[in-house]
Amino acid sequence: MKRFFTSLIIGLVLGVLVGLYFGWVQFPVEYVDSTMGDLDRSYRDEYTVMIAASYQFDNDGLGAVERLRRLGVDNVPEYVQSTTERFITNSRDLNDIRLLVNLSNGLGRLTPIMEPFLDLTGGGS
Amino acid sequence: MSQQELPPPPPTSLPSEPEFPRHRTRYNRPRRYFSRWGLAFGVVIGILAGLGYAWLLAPLEEFDTEPYQLRLADKNHYAVAIILEYQQGGDLGLAVNKLVQLRLGEDPIQAVANIACDLASTGYVDSTSGLNALRAMKTFYQLQGRSGCADLLVPDVDAADSQIVEVVVPTNTPTIPPPPSKTPTPDIGPVTAEPTVRVAPTVVAQRDFEGRIANTFCDTTFPAVIEVFVVTFNGDGIAGEQVRVRWEGGDSTFVTGLKLDRGESYADFQMENGVGYTIDMPGLSDPIGTPLVAEQCFTENGDESIKSYRVVFRQIG
Repeated sequence: MKRFFTSLIIGLVLGVLVGLYFGWVQFPVEYVDSTMGDLDRSYRDEYTVMIAASYQFDNDGLGAVERLRRLGVDNVPEYVQSTTERFITNSRDLNDIRLLVNLSNGLGRLTPIMEPFLDLTGGGS
Repeated sequence: MSQQELPPPPPTSLPSEPEFPRHRTRYNRPRRYFSRWGLAFGVVIGILAGLGYAWLLAPLEEFDTEPYQLRLADKNHYAVAIILEYQQGGDLGLAVNKLVQLRLGEDPIQAVANIACDLASTGYVDSTSGLNALRAMKTFYQLQGRSGCADLLVPDVDAADSQIVEVVVPTNTPTIPPPPSKTPTPDIGPVTAEPTVRVAPTVVAQRDFEGRIANTFCDTTFPAVIEVFVVTFNGDGIAGEQVRVRWEGGDSTFVTGLKLDRGESYADFQMENGVGYTIDMPGLSDPIGTPLVAEQCFTENGDESIKSYRVVFRQIG
């Protein structure tokens, strides 16, 4: 009997380790019904660039702010400014930077680092 | 008394094993150090406990959330953003790729039509930006031959913008009607009736097709090409329709459906670098307002090529 319980305990330890590996590494919990605010930063950036592109097209600043508010940010102009500056600092895609600079400019957040990228042919006021 | 016999001397060693093999039984098998059953029970229970802990009690914090994991309402707004970006950039492939990543279903373009239908039924359409977004979605899925209830719920841009409102500004000095004439009417005598001339009312010119630039693309294998698709209102291809391309100093008319491998709605035209073209269906559509210019472009790989266009003429009504 002692031999059985010793084996059981060793098996339990091994099983727990295997279970934790599968539960945390191999097949972790996949969340659904997430909100925009939970999006990975790369997708938040992608969404922001898409909204900046729409602003470039229609100059609808209010619409852009409403759409970006879905990301759960309180201060949309500040968020756009910081995102734009991060894009510039990290040398991201030039077209994306121009779109973001244009949106940032439209929201009254044109900073010196953005000025060289300001697309004068685009929208924005 | 007879002499007593002595017992045989004891053997110097144990008797050897019998010649025949003995079957191993649980009684003569050497004892293992572990109990197999105990180990197996332990592993199974341990795995279940480990999974329960990892999935239920202490799941990983949410990170790397992708758009397809969004709740339905946010997924819809993400799709709207994709279409708005398409409206600005005109990159159909990029838009479709993003829609596919959103996992909207087997037909992501029809899913856009369904989303537009849902949004058009809500207060989303009350704001100007919402209405414009729905119009962009409508244009997107209609150009790809899909339809949805937003076709009826969302008015077209032309219809909404071309309403002429007459504003009558009242003048401060009202016009006084003239007094009745006191002059007696002279007797003219019998009046000869003149033949009545009936004038047919002028009919506003009707367009049968509406053309739009669906998107542009940059490809080294298909440089400077205008790809034309002529489709019905429902998106079915129409063969044998004439399409005309005009440029400074020349024009060319060609017919859809001659390249059957591309579908019966398809026709194409090879542009020359640097030349601007206008395109229409003679007698059936207005020319597309934006000239198609064969200009330099760069592919995603950085290869130089000449921009190509994809134009869709859709039947109206």
